Amino acid sequence: MYDAPHKDKDVTQNDIKISARDVQVFYGDTQAIKDVDVEIDDKTVTAFIGPSGCGKSTFLRCLNRMNDTIDICRIEGKISIDGEDIYDPSIDPVQLRAKVGMVFQKPNPFPKSIYENVAYGPKIHGMARNKAELDEIVENALKRAALWNEAKDRLDSPGTGLSGGQQQRLCIARAVATEPEVLLMDEPCSALDPIATAQVEELIDELRQTYSVVIVTHSMQQAARVSQKTAFFHLGNLVEFGDTEQIFTNPKDERTESYITGRIG
Amino acid sequence: MTLAPFVILLFAAFVGYAINLRAAQAIRADGVRLHSLESFHGLFSLLMVIVPVLTLVLIWLAVEGAVIDALLMASLPAGVLDGLGSGAIQLIGAEIRSIAGGRVFGTPDDWKLEAAERLIGYRQASSWLLIVVVTGVSAGIVYFARGRVASGFRARQRVERITLGLMIFCAVVAIFTTVGIVAALTYETFRFFQMVPVTEFLFGLNWEPQIPIREDQIAAEGAFGAVPVFLGTIVIATVALVVAVPVGLMTAIYLNEFAPHAFRKTVKPVLEILAGVPTVVYGFFAILVVAPALRQFGASVGLDVSGNTALAAGGVMGIMLIPFISSFADDALSAVPQSLRDGALALGATRGEMMLNVLFPAAIPGIVGGVLLAVSRAIGETMIVVMAAGLMARMTINPLDSVTAVTVQIVTLLIGDTAFDNPKTLAAFALGMMLFIATLVINIFALRIVRKYREIYD
Repeated sequence: MYDAPHKDKDVTQNDIKISARDVQVFYGDTQAIKDVDVEIDDKTVTAFIGPSGCGKSTFLRCLNRMNDTIDICRIEGKISIDGEDIYDPSIDPVQLRAKVGMVFQKPNPFPKSIYENVAYGPKIHGMARNKAELDEIVENALKRAALWNEAKDRLDSPGTGLSGGQQQRLCIARAVATEPEVLLMDEPCSALDPIATAQVEELIDELRQTYSVVIVTHSMQQAARVSQKTAFFHLGNLVEFGDTEQIFTNPKDERTESYITGRIG
Repeated sequence: MTLAPFVILLFAAFVGYAINLRAAQAIRADGVRLHSLESFHGLFSLLMVIVPVLTLVLIWLAVEGAVIDALLMASLPAGVLDGLGSGAIQLIGAEIRSIAGGRVFGTPDDWKLEAAERLIGYRQASSWLLIVVVTGVSAGIVYFARGRVASGFRARQRVERITLGLMIFCAVVAIFTTVGIVAALTYETFRFFQMVPVTEFLFGLNWEPQIPIREDQIAAEGAFGAVPVFLGTIVIATVALVVAVPVGLMTAIYLNEFAPHAFRKTVKPVLEILAGVPTVVYGFFAILVVAPALRQFGASVGLDVSGNTALAAGGVMGIMLIPFISSFADDALSAVPQSLRDGALALGATRGEMMLNVLFPAAIPGIVGGVLLAVSRAIGETMIVVMAAGLMARMTINPLDSVTAVTVQIVTLLIGDTAFDNPKTLAAFALGMMLFIATLVINIFALRIVRKYREIYD
């Protein structure tokens, strides 16, 4: 059940990056998230686990206000990043999303070239003053996503022509290229084979050096392997939140224990 | 009288159905397992009656007239047709038929009256014979079909095969109709090009399709250079697309991405109403509202605007095409997966940037396909240009001038008394042929683009 993590779990020195207080989310009349309080550390991988429909993806999408695009979705409570309330009217969701990158469940490269896919974010945010700078950003992003060696000779071929795992790493490169501070990953490996999954997991561990990474996953092994902190969601409630090791070896709540031992979910 | 065979046929079909159904039910009631359901045995009889007998009746009615005519002409007294041309013989036939129909002019010759009597006799005989044949054949088939009912008889497969044949026939009807249209068009076009050289038609810059009615009449020789006519169509279609493409695309983009739900729900049906307005009504709008308005506006800025400009016709045609383009573009944009929208938004793109950089390029093949289909509609559109565009073919690309269009010329050439042995009338077919080829090429091109695009996201 529990794979021994290969990285140290020492996270005590990190600052709080995201803090959520008393968050409620409604889709129309149904409440998807109830009273969630959570604090996500900087330079840490935080995993959200829980059975299907428990609200973990919904909560993740609150963190970069992607739920704004759903008309019937309503959010209460306070979520702040670096102490700044992201639902404050003065905050522009477009700028927020540049700061909080996201990788989706299914690889979704644009029907453009590999280069254009990665360069898209930097272009719309005016991050490069000339072609040379843009080239450098693209190269660095692809290197960080461990895709450079495979893609460097075919930067002009379409991103949709890559394999599933490569596409997902391209999407990670695309998110990394805008230099976000937080990276949200919504089940990034669910459409990938085990080898591609291993590559992406390794990548997540690398990214932890620079970003605060929040990952939603169905696989408890994956949560155990990649994360330092784990939050367990059940029926819209945040049941338990703590160090990954503690959650998997010594859960305090019996629902958590039932879930990780496979009795519910 | 002509209805009777059909009534008999339907009656026989239902009787056959009922008989076979009962027979099959009886077999089943005896505890024998049937291969096919009872209703398939019934349907087998029904289809076996309807398909061949209906074909027989239709063929009979189609050739009946010709056979009776031939009999009639052969029965005329010897010598009356000697030395007459085919036209005169046809006239005599027509006269006899009108006498038989009770319309007698003057005092016809006795032999014509006798012939009319015989004609009525032939017709009655034919009707009765048809009724007898239909009854006999139907009864025979019903008996035959009843004989086939047995526990092992594969009625379902037979019914399925007949149904399949009917479906193939229906599918082929459209193809044969197209072939027929092309053949008719080609034949007349060919005759036209025997009188007027192809090069003059394709490259001539002068279009004056008047032909003197009498040999000695003083009138210009007809000139059949189609270039100015096609130029007119191109000018009008261009104006139409300049109006329709941007407005249609903007409408689609707004409705697809930016419009509040309630607004979208109201506007889409309204656009569909616009698509359903008959083109003749658009024609009214063009001549009663747009053309005078343009003229007044032109006068106020010191321009001499003609009464039936390409601008008025093309502009109104553009309005007609707006819903066409917007619904095509809307479909193309909706087909772009939500994941691409999410991907762009999550990178911090605004909705505008997402639309411009991601959705639009992904949807462009579908949009181009829609625009090309709109082009072929614009050049084939008839009623608006007949009402709002001019008649004189001119070599001009000024949209404020009066220009004509291919479809307008076809209509004018074929209106009134037309003789199919002079180039004036046949020119219409040549124009039609060119138009057909142009729209065909554009449609094939458009469909190919649309199909290619479909493969990307499936």
